[in-house]
Amino acid sequence: MPRMTFIERDGTRRDVEAPLGLSVLEIAHKHGVDIEGACEGSLACSTCHVIVDPAWSDKLAKATEDEEDMLDLAFGLEKTSRLGCQIVMTEALDGLVVRLPQATRNVMNG
Amino acid sequence: MPLRPNRPVYLDNQATTPCDPRVLQAMLPWFCEQFANPHSVEHAMGRQAGAAVEQAREQLAALIGAEPRELVFTSGATESNNIAIKGAACYAAAVGETRRRVVTVATEHKCVLESVADLRAEGFEPVMLPVRPDGLLDPAVLAEALEVPTLLVSVMAVNNETGVVQDLAGLAAVARHAGALFHTDAAQGVGKVPLDVAAMDIDLTSISGHKIYGPKGVGALYVRRRPRVRLAPLFSGGGQERGLRSGTLPVPLIVGLGEAARLAQAEMAAEAPRLAALRDRLLERLQAMVPGLVVNGSRTARIAGNLNVTFPTATAAALMAAVPELCVSTGSACSSAELEPSYVLRALGLSDGAAGRTLRIGIGRFTSPADIEFAATALAAAHSRIEA
Repeated sequence: MPRMTFIERDGTRRDVEAPLGLSVLEIAHKHGVDIEGACEGSLACSTCHVIVDPAWSDKLAKATEDEEDMLDLAFGLEKTSRLGCQIVMTEALDGLVVRLPQATRNVMNG
Repeated sequence: MPLRPNRPVYLDNQATTPCDPRVLQAMLPWFCEQFANPHSVEHAMGRQAGAAVEQAREQLAALIGAEPRELVFTSGATESNNIAIKGAACYAAAVGETRRRVVTVATEHKCVLESVADLRAEGFEPVMLPVRPDGLLDPAVLAEALEVPTLLVSVMAVNNETGVVQDLAGLAAVARHAGALFHTDAAQGVGKVPLDVAAMDIDLTSISGHKIYGPKGVGALYVRRRPRVRLAPLFSGGGQERGLRSGTLPVPLIVGLGEAARLAQAEMAAEAPRLAALRDRLLERLQAMVPGLVVNGSRTARIAGNLNVTFPTATAAALMAAVPELCVSTGSACSSAELEPSYVLRALGLSDGAAGRTLRIGIGRFTSPADIEFAATALAAAHSRIEA
């Protein structure tokens, strides 16, 4: 089974199993990594914002316009920012590294 | 001396234009009857106001070849220019972008020059390029400046004093080739010359309502989505307008801007030759009566309604004092309170003396042939009196 690494807000690296076909958001939830995902992956918020390690960002499918629209609203955006719900695990992504941003904005909580 | 008009003749349409009565009619219901907050999506009145805002967004988008959701409403072109320039720089700094150069042109509006200059304190490198004597930016001069990796290039579509039209498509291509963002302050260009932000490959465009027969206090910023252009907002707030411009939207003003855009799109093709004919008539009459009159800026790359002329002897101030029934100006309204000669004219190579003998004449939608006749006769008569 592929594996991936989350770098948490305090810098801790969490190396976890990453089942094929699950999104980075779903993998985070499966392992108790603190990513919110307020809209449960329906592209209606930016609370699953992650920063992809630059070594991996070119290997991902390009973000759709809808994903870019949601990223517009994310806090702490960086060049390789993506939404965790839109990255789906494949064999090619075995070893993927993403970092959690310092803050998120949940528009649902106002 | 020509017959005195019973109200002042207004030939300063680059300072501002009168609100078109059709624009005012479109705005009126949105003050007292349909006053709801367009962000109140929970009730019918709010949703109606929201729909009116979105219709205006579509009308303005159609005028410049944008998608409606690429437009952010603002208070006017000054705010749009500030958001575009400072917002692009702040965002770039936040994501660790290393490009630090920001390039603009000596003849830009003050708010662009000042926004770019303000970035120096944030660690950016402002560069101000000269123009040719005809007022146009040489693409080779831009290309040379962009040999240093550049974050943003800002070049106005149409100059507010000379009416000179820059080759935006050509300049944007130079910026794209160098990997820089391209912003244009199109306050004087929208609705006057055809603009297509997609075809011209422009990333950011500032728009003003009151230069196109709409109300004062409203404008817009085009922010490209494909490829995505990101800006850091200057205002904190409720996240309206894609988070870029928080604050309750002024529905009546936005409806007016939309209607003004619709009228401009429908009438621009017929209006431009009509204004050009009036402008050419005025110039012909002035040249016949005032030998030595000089036109500043390109005669061909120029909007139809603008004339910028240097008189041989009389100062602009003396001419305006001698013809109080005529509303013209010495330079941009924003800078004319200063006694300093126009920096735009000096950038074209005019001496301080020549700049001081120069009038900006702006012909608009409501200018009549009689207005032109009065202006020509009165200015020529005043010039002879002052000369004598």
